[in-house]
Amino acid sequence: MELKELYVTASLAQLDLSDEEAETLSALVGQMVEYFSTMREIDVENLEPTTHALLKTNRVREDAVVESAAADTLVGNAPESEGRFIVIPNVL
Amino acid sequence: MYQAFVGLEIHVQLLTKSKVFCGCRAAFGDEPNTNVCPVCMGYPGVLPTLNRQAIVQAYLVARALDCELSESAVFERKNYFYPDLPKNYQISQLGSPVGRNGRVDLDLGGSRRRVPIREVHLEEDAGKMIHAGDVSLLDYNRAGTPLLEIVTEPVLERGEEAELFLQYFRRMVRYLGVCDGNMEEGSLRCDANVSVNRPGKGLGSKVEIKNMNSSRFVKKALAFEIARQSGLLDRGAPVAQETRLWNENRDLTEAMRSKEEADDYRYFPEPDLPPFKPDAAFLLDVEKGLVELPSARRERLVAEYGLGPDQVDFIIDEKSRADFFERTVALGADPLAAASWLGSDVKRLLNREGVELAESPLTPERLAGLLVLLASGRIHGKIAKQVLEVLFAEGKDPETIIRERAWEQLIDAGAIAKLVDEAIDANEKAAAQIRAGDEKPVGFLVGEIMKATSGRAEPQLVRSVLKERLAKSR
Amino acid sequence: MNHSARWSNVLLSPDRTESYLDYARGWEKRIGSFLELSPPVPASPPRGDLAGIPFAVKDNIAVEGFNLTCGSKMLAGLKSPYTATAVRRLQEAGALVVGKTNLDEFGMGSSTDTSALARTSNPWDTSLVAGGSSGGSAAAVAAGIVPFALGSDTGGSIRQPAAFCGIYGLKPTYGAVSRYGLVAYASSLEGIGVVAESVGFARRVFEVIRGIDPLDHSSVEYLPSGQTPPRPRLGVVRGLAGLSGEIERAYRRAADLARGLGMEVSEVDLKTFDYVVPAYYTIATAEASANLARFNGIRYGLRPEGTENPEQLVKGARNRGFGDEVKLRILLGTYVLRSGFQDRYYVRAQKIRTAIRNDLQALFGAVDLLLLPVFPTAAFKHGEAGLTPFQQKLADRFTVTANLAGIPALSFPMGSEAGAPLGLQLLAPAFEEERLFRAAESFAEAVPLEHPPGYSEEWRS
Repeated sequence: MELKELYVTASLAQLDLSDEEAETLSALVGQMVEYFSTMREIDVENLEPTTHALLKTNRVREDAVVESAAADTLVGNAPESEGRFIVIPNVL
Repeated sequence: MYQAFVGLEIHVQLLTKSKVFCGCRAAFGDEPNTNVCPVCMGYPGVLPTLNRQAIVQAYLVARALDCELSESAVFERKNYFYPDLPKNYQISQLGSPVGRNGRVDLDLGGSRRRVPIREVHLEEDAGKMIHAGDVSLLDYNRAGTPLLEIVTEPVLERGEEAELFLQYFRRMVRYLGVCDGNMEEGSLRCDANVSVNRPGKGLGSKVEIKNMNSSRFVKKALAFEIARQSGLLDRGAPVAQETRLWNENRDLTEAMRSKEEADDYRYFPEPDLPPFKPDAAFLLDVEKGLVELPSARRERLVAEYGLGPDQVDFIIDEKSRADFFERTVALGADPLAAASWLGSDVKRLLNREGVELAESPLTPERLAGLLVLLASGRIHGKIAKQVLEVLFAEGKDPETIIRERAWEQLIDAGAIAKLVDEAIDANEKAAAQIRAGDEKPVGFLVGEIMKATSGRAEPQLVRSVLKERLAKSR
Repeated sequence: MNHSARWSNVLLSPDRTESYLDYARGWEKRIGSFLELSPPVPASPPRGDLAGIPFAVKDNIAVEGFNLTCGSKMLAGLKSPYTATAVRRLQEAGALVVGKTNLDEFGMGSSTDTSALARTSNPWDTSLVAGGSSGGSAAAVAAGIVPFALGSDTGGSIRQPAAFCGIYGLKPTYGAVSRYGLVAYASSLEGIGVVAESVGFARRVFEVIRGIDPLDHSSVEYLPSGQTPPRPRLGVVRGLAGLSGEIERAYRRAADLARGLGMEVSEVDLKTFDYVVPAYYTIATAEASANLARFNGIRYGLRPEGTENPEQLVKGARNRGFGDEVKLRILLGTYVLRSGFQDRYYVRAQKIRTAIRNDLQALFGAVDLLLLPVFPTAAFKHGEAGLTPFQQKLADRFTVTANLAGIPALSFPMGSEAGAPLGLQLLAPAFEEERLFRAAESFAEAVPLEHPPGYSEEWRS
């Protein structure tokens, strides 16, 4: 795979690749993509894609509030917080 | 010399009790990160579960916009990284949204414009990020609240038309009870796309406008943007395809910092949620929610009650007001009187007290009672206004109020005659003048009698009895 | 069952817990199957169908009070704030979680060697991998530390380590067991299942954990046909290439054995067989690229020091938090979903998936069960002496079919050769797990279960 394509892909995936990593990964990704290309050989003309396995019925939940007991724990799990806010850096 | 094409993208925060994919409270203004759980905070291992009320409301809006309703509404993942988006994908819809190909026939004050609705889809909202110096503060209370996105075709031509559309739309979602329509708090949000071109040349470069948080700003921002693009075309300058923000302090649109590469959201069907296929029972529920919409109601109220244009606009503006009006009329009040009272004295008192009609002590029963008392002559106009004041202050029925205060109009001819006689005796000079054919003091004597009865005497009756007495004794 | 009678007392007194830990720690020094081992001290004797029975949980399944690391630096130290439905159901039946087991990072691997947190080895021979990604769970069961453990199977992650360790591994029908609490890798393909020392345990655990869950809208009502053919028709696949000698022998032996056990054996073809692996990896990585997007160092997990803006923070967390295999799969998945490439890869793979399902549906008109190898070889060696990551992926060709079709599959032991256990698998139509259990029980009568050297039941008596 071309490095340019790899970098565009990495950026979409929020991965910052070092040059060395990019080198290795472009070979590995390229190998898999080439392998994926074998899918061209099979005729899929009249087939609908299967996007969901075995899901045939509607599933809904009634509109009722469930008080979350975990809210404090969740705020506590944040690496950095201020009061009840979760904090991230944003130096301009 | 140019033609503008404006399309709107409206986001509607649905009025459900819980979030769209988890049971957390969907509320505005709570302490940060209190209405959160592992699902809406994007914890590992959790799964979305679809709120029935959210999908009902989504179909309801699509139905009200005359959309083709999807037989299989598919949720998809829209992938992009942003700190306020917990999963870094948004559950939204693309290929098979709730509704498509709808329309609104917009009344442009005399002419009509058909505004085609491209699609209505259900998605989840993101959290909020507040910038504070060199940090940003994240609050996920809003993350996962249900949002409905409505996209119009670009057929609006002026800022005023967009404003009218938005007002129409806001009124509609409030009628349907699916959104409170509060643009300042962000429960109704509107972005626009604007392109300007020479007539007949089709669409020009599309510019997205964001950050317009009132319908007035929508009008102003679009007017500015249309003028800006026209100005560029005048000078032969290109219009950049970009996103611009409305700056309400400077009254202009500004280009947003552009990103280096284009977005690629990599939509794909959400494997955690089966496609939703509305069945007969579900569609029946949707139909049940389909109230008479403002435009239809306007026409009917004019035809049925003969309301004038301003009156009817005022009455139908809020569904609760129109309901109040019709209930009052059904209880025997004169429609024009009811409309006029709602639009003047009642409105004034509501403003003064700072309450909504629905929360005020005034009920359709009480207003109808008051208007029937007035129409039957048991009280007259001035007393009626006083009764309304007392009603607001004490929350009592009009009957009770006039009984307690003995405000019922004096219409008994015998009693009036006695009062007239007393007045004649006390004002011989004036009486004599009238007997002599000078009518001038009639008003004075009527006034005296009114004063003596604290305004309760029926003035017309007083006048006629007075004239009769003074004529007789001539 | 007398098996569970021996297991149900092992944690009921401090003394017993001590012997339990002695036995477990003895093994753990060699095999490292647990990332966290802390047997509970029940305040009162547990009640229920599985009362007092210890079990282990793969560390990509949430158990409140335990870590939920997924074998990744990204989540090292994260305590789960909630419990997976499958685990909760087992706890309600009286079973006791003793710890969390090692796995390939986020379930991405076939050896458990991609775990960033610990190294797990095969109890039969520590130079061999335990398989993956549920290698810790399989190793713990094979070593006799727990009678069963929960795992997850996205493309063979339960069946392959079960085969490598000489035990049973059930990948249930898609949706039969709630995924609530399973950290998602490829949502449309995977499910929670069980590795167990006996068919009996696999069946009992499955009966407890299955069923529709209000917290998982992709879970389904469990509705089996209720018919288990007394003389099942067993399909064996014609002309399977690339099998190691010992697996080829085991496969043939099983087919012969099946005839002797009264099954009707016939040869069948899998027309779509050559495309299952590319289709599987296209779909799995696509879904993974979205599923793993939530790990960004903001709300929990690894956060790099000294970053100045959100982008640096997020990229820093992901660069340092994810291992190479995870990055590779995220990149692949992102790529196959990109506009311009999506039709060629992702959409095409989903269409092939339809073809595979059609293929299997037709096949299950002719046979009741399908017999397949689990992996082309027995357990391979750690590191360079083993298989490359690409070879490992190609070797998933026997397992991914069940995931693409959403049907159940059970791997079962078929003896051992040269000190390494051998395993094969049976596939059945959706909801027909009972057919798998019955057939595996038949095979078990003919092929006695073997244990690794050092395995002991004495401490339990």
